[in-house]
Amino acid sequence: MLRAELAISYIIERMGEVLVSTASTDGVFWLVITLLAYAVALKVFRALSGHPLVHPLTITSCIVGLVMWLSDASAGSYRENAALLQWLLGPATVALAVPMFNQWQKIRQLGAPLIISVAVGGIVAPLLAWGVIYLTSAPLAIQMTMLVKSITSPLAMETGAAIGGIPALAAVFVILTGIVGALAAPLTYRTLAVTLPEAQGVALGAVCHAVGTSKALQMGEVQGALATVGLGLNGILTAIILPLFF
Amino acid sequence: MHIMSTVTGWLIITGCYLLGEFIVQMASIPLPGALIGLLLLLAGLLLRQRPAVAISRGAQPLLTHMSVLFVPAVIGVGLFWDEVRQNALGITLALVATTIIALGFTAWVAQYLMHRKEQR
Repeated sequence: MLRAELAISYIIERMGEVLVSTASTDGVFWLVITLLAYAVALKVFRALSGHPLVHPLTITSCIVGLVMWLSDASAGSYRENAALLQWLLGPATVALAVPMFNQWQKIRQLGAPLIISVAVGGIVAPLLAWGVIYLTSAPLAIQMTMLVKSITSPLAMETGAAIGGIPALAAVFVILTGIVGALAAPLTYRTLAVTLPEAQGVALGAVCHAVGTSKALQMGEVQGALATVGLGLNGILTAIILPLFF
Repeated sequence: MHIMSTVTGWLIITGCYLLGEFIVQMASIPLPGALIGLLLLLAGLLLRQRPAVAISRGAQPLLTHMSVLFVPAVIGVGLFWDEVRQNALGITLALVATTIIALGFTAWVAQYLMHRKEQR
């Protein structure tokens, strides 16, 4: 009983913090700036018929960064002021159940090849990245953080902390991995002649988590649904397995 | 009516998220609440066996505009600028080269396995 009360009060406290920082003058200002920047980014993205270099996330971040530079705002205060956007990632992650449900028949039909593919992506991506960062003799905390770069941010931050990485840096690596993957996916797939929508989707989801999934959703519903499966399965597997090793 | 069902759907989705958070906190499971919420919603939809219009409508804006929700995390790069700059070469190589290799390799393996299954 006490435990339930603690859990509820923790959740309410966090929602309260988000609301308080959003309802402040700075909170409203940065929310409006971010949404305006996003509206511009969408216009640009559509005008250039969805070229990966002008991904809405890249353009929005550049505009917000520019306004921050002009107004001398720090990254820390922006994150606090824009807490509502970060919080909404929770419901957005849950919403991924909808495309998964819509494609459930397809997922069941694919069965083992799907799960093996996710496992391949989930093992190869972090090990390669860790190998490279190990060779450049980066600090241990950065090495550990690299291991979680392919899974979705909220999962990566918690898992990263559990194995001795830096949670906030994990979020950054995750995002950069996603952007690189979303940018490189069309050319990579063309070069390797990967034309099967299911394969395109599952790789984006398993290797490039949510940013890759939003790219996959843009490529088509099948790609989007399989990316969701890749993201979900890989996230669960990595979050369970990694802490066992460290 | 349209807006009402979108709002209802959104509330159900958010409810699943909060329930997921609650379960995680309550049982101290080392998994994110959002993931448990996703599994709860998926289980609910599968048990119901028919498409839920309200939930699809509520999910749509969240899925379409997910990109903007990552902006705070991207801006967060600024907080770790020193660590990132000191290890710039390794981090760039690890993020750019290995992501592309892993993405291509995974997609290629997936296509190979799925084609083979179809041919059987």
